[in-house]
Amino acid sequence: MGLEDMLLEIKDTSELMVDLAYSSLLYDNQDIAEEVIQMHARMDELGDEIEELAIKRAIEDRDSPKALAIIRMSKSVRDISYAALKIAQVVRSDMPLHPVIELSLRDSDVIITTATVHPSSDLAGSTLGAVRLATNSGMYVIAIRRGRRYIYGPDRDTMLMEGDLLFARGPLDAEQYFQDLAAGDEHLEAKDLIR
Amino acid sequence: MRSDEVGEESRYTVRELLTEMKDISEVVVDLAYSSLIFDSQEIGQEVQHLESRVDLLNHEIKVRAMLAARNKEDATMLSGLLEVAEAAAIISRAAGDMVDLLEIGPSPTPFLSLVLKNAEEKIHLLSLSERSDMKGRTIADMSVEAETGMRIIAVKRGIRWIYDPEETLRLKGGDVLIVRGTEDGYERLKRFASGEEKWPEYPEDD
Repeated sequence: MGLEDMLLEIKDTSELMVDLAYSSLLYDNQDIAEEVIQMHARMDELGDEIEELAIKRAIEDRDSPKALAIIRMSKSVRDISYAALKIAQVVRSDMPLHPVIELSLRDSDVIITTATVHPSSDLAGSTLGAVRLATNSGMYVIAIRRGRRYIYGPDRDTMLMEGDLLFARGPLDAEQYFQDLAAGDEHLEAKDLIR
Repeated sequence: MRSDEVGEESRYTVRELLTEMKDISEVVVDLAYSSLIFDSQEIGQEVQHLESRVDLLNHEIKVRAMLAARNKEDATMLSGLLEVAEAAAIISRAAGDMVDLLEIGPSPTPFLSLVLKNAEEKIHLLSLSERSDMKGRTIADMSVEAETGMRIIAVKRGIRWIYDPEETLRLKGGDVLIVRGTEDGYERLKRFASGEEKWPEYPEDD
């Protein structure tokens, strides 16, 4: 992976982390909070690699301003990751959440949810485009976790596989259908698949 | 909610303070990336303004929380709340630091801009055609984010910028929107904004 790709990966990760952290807080969801904590560990590894690589390159290319920009960008992104971690730790700690937190966060009808693709789901083995997930369920998949790997901003050609953990954003009232679809409790009809 | 009057925030409730901090923290990073992508000092200044606003709110919320705690249980719960507020402040400061990169010199910004343009959830500029039926409607009416997955980060109207627009903002023909989201969501929103496709109507929504 090149330096640019790594920088993009930590940027994308940090954004997803903040979204997930606030969601974990809003729904007092331990699993999502745990996900954020895992992501932070990965961010630290990648961040260190990026900064070291940037310095190596600066020495080779004699381009120190570029390295400075990369390192400072990496630092800012890591700060954001740390902020998300702090929020997730509030959820993971044993202390009860202050009721005002929920009231403060619940301000829009758009939520983030997660769902694991069950083998019997119509989603397993199909591309996002083929199942027209956004149109049919109202939920946009913003990221996928496949084993240890994350896929950010999947597009219509991205293949969904059983066991994938999907992170999706959409209206609250679309959440249940999306969950059922991933669990294989709800199926798409032929008309849903025709453009 | 947002007010630019200094001193106003001492009358806010803890809930209002935290809501505003969270809202700013969600938009300020996108604005910072936008300032780098479009090499815009103007957007950068807004980021710095938001950063100092969050600092002010963070101070206020600490004072309020201390006054509100009546016993140990209260204090424990409020400390969790303050952690969340602090996180929002850290995010805003990080955004402020990114904007400082605009001043490093001529070379880094185009590089970062190039990198950021390849991000998965991309930031785009979109102009609202006079022919679009989004014109004259509010962001809330259309539920823009729920419908397309795209978030409107800022609106440029004439020479004026509206950052983190309120849901009640009525869009006008000629508005330039800074939006972010997936490529698919963007393509879809673009068809509505250009007037090529009508904004979908759902009878039950009335």
